[in-house]
Amino acid sequence: MKQYTYTHAIQIDADKCIGCSHCMRVCPTEAIRIDGGHARIQSVRCVDCGECFRVCPQRAIYVKDDGLASVKSSGYRIALVPSIFIGQFPSDYSATQILEAVRQIGFDDVFEVEQAVDMVKSEYRLLENEIDQRPAITSFCPAVVRLIQVLYPSLTDQIIRLKAPHDIAALYLRKSKERQGIRPSEIYIYYITPCAAKIVAARDPVAEKESPIDGTIDMKMIYNLVSKIIREDKNSGLHKSYANMSPDSVCWSLSGTEKKYFSGRSLAIDGMNNVIEFLDKLESGQLAHIDFLEMRACDQGCAGGILCPCNRFLAVERLEQRQKKLEKLKLQNEGKVTNMLFEFSEELHRELQIDAVEPREGLQLDEDIGKAIQKMKHIKKLMTFLPGFDCGACGAPSCRALAEDIAQDRANISYCVFVQRVMEKNYKLSPEQSFSVIEKIWGQNRLNKYTDENES
Amino acid sequence: MEVQYEIQGGDFSTAGQASSEIKKLLKQFNIDPQIVRRIAIALFEAEVNVVAHAYKGIMKADIEPESIRVIVEDEGPGIEDIEKAMEEGFSTASEAVRQMGFGAGMGLPNIKKNVDEMILTSVPGRGTCLKMKVLF
Repeated sequence: MKQYTYTHAIQIDADKCIGCSHCMRVCPTEAIRIDGGHARIQSVRCVDCGECFRVCPQRAIYVKDDGLASVKSSGYRIALVPSIFIGQFPSDYSATQILEAVRQIGFDDVFEVEQAVDMVKSEYRLLENEIDQRPAITSFCPAVVRLIQVLYPSLTDQIIRLKAPHDIAALYLRKSKERQGIRPSEIYIYYITPCAAKIVAARDPVAEKESPIDGTIDMKMIYNLVSKIIREDKNSGLHKSYANMSPDSVCWSLSGTEKKYFSGRSLAIDGMNNVIEFLDKLESGQLAHIDFLEMRACDQGCAGGILCPCNRFLAVERLEQRQKKLEKLKLQNEGKVTNMLFEFSEELHRELQIDAVEPREGLQLDEDIGKAIQKMKHIKKLMTFLPGFDCGACGAPSCRALAEDIAQDRANISYCVFVQRVMEKNYKLSPEQSFSVIEKIWGQNRLNKYTDENES
Repeated sequence: MEVQYEIQGGDFSTAGQASSEIKKLLKQFNIDPQIVRRIAIALFEAEVNVVAHAYKGIMKADIEPESIRVIVEDEGPGIEDIEKAMEEGFSTASEAVRQMGFGAGMGLPNIKKNVDEMILTSVPGRGTCLKMKVLF
């Protein structure tokens, strides 16, 4: 486990951040501290799940995508759209209408990611008997993959070594467009993303050398533009190329569809807290005889993605309706589905594997075990006199986190407001000193709103 | 570095807490994650044995730069025939315990498989003491 630098899509706007600590309290990997009046994210621990983004009252946390500006002005530009985007619109708009509107924004072609899911299903059939590390964990959700790297390093080799559907779709597009005579260097693929983690997966993939995706665009941005277009243009109708997949693929990114494609005992777990609770039990050896784990960091899977503008439950219902529509179409076609990806199945099959996922060093106290044990002893001692309220006034999410920061020389015991009182009482700290400690954490001018006259 | 945790006999709902705490500590050290996993599994099995068979027990761990030593000591009925207890599939667990998914007779063999050294001693009618060592 070496020190790497990690790319992140979750960013903090220091001009807007008031260091209110809402984000710090919800971060599942305890990656956030308050320092100098602002929230700061520890790169090695951040998994870009976006839990902090959800709770920020100042809208200071933002997601850095590549944006529409990154779309080339020439070349063959393809928008890769996940089904969940279609679920953002009421069912009276057809998928064709929505995807055509995306094209009008400035793309030469539009492709629905979930068409690659049939390929994943067939890979699972080939893989499932070969995997002896059970349960196998899906590689679908990049936030879950990164969470396992940081918090559950012993489980990384249980992650299935298979590319995610958006990568497979992009690989297919490159091959099929090349066959159509478009020069590979002229093909640009842009993924319309429902979350921050997928942006990072495209920019800095785990266990892959490079991503076949050229850029990512925030789904909200495309949603706004498409909403405007489809309001004006009610031209409906079915475009066959948007229905070439088995019907339940459109629900793949939600919770509960993927697990049906791995035989044996298969579980679907969604929501960060649920995923953590489950992985914790799994890592402790408390769970046995499970074959497959479908995991999604967001509640309701990608419908709960932080960049999805619409209510997640509505989106789920709409995708279920879409699945029914595709089932009807399939019946009309004598129960057959022609998925174009299978024209390239052999080539794709060879390129779908990813390398082994390596753990991150985010939890380590020290590379040297002897030194780490000394630090741990220090932490345990500190824990005996920290109050255990996890009030967060020290700028760390819990007393335990502060103790760790102190042991790592990143904080001081006087950061604890309870300890401060004792130090003041014993004349170890002057009121001016404790005042400056608070200012160091929460920022200058943070404490000057209150004057003695306020109360009288 | 020493830590110790109490284990309550019969409390299946919280079984695993002691072993989970020790696992959490080990994760912060630069130890091969697969070794941490092996230790976690062995400690969990040992903890469940106390919960399933004994009145109460204690789990003591001593972590050093090269190894971890763990002693799990309980007050309980003890083991009549240790050799037999080590056989796969042998269990004296009650029907009620089996109903909860425990007592398949794989606990002790599973511990042996996951640790580098294991010493099991018992005084029937008094209790059992399990000593384990895993090298990092």
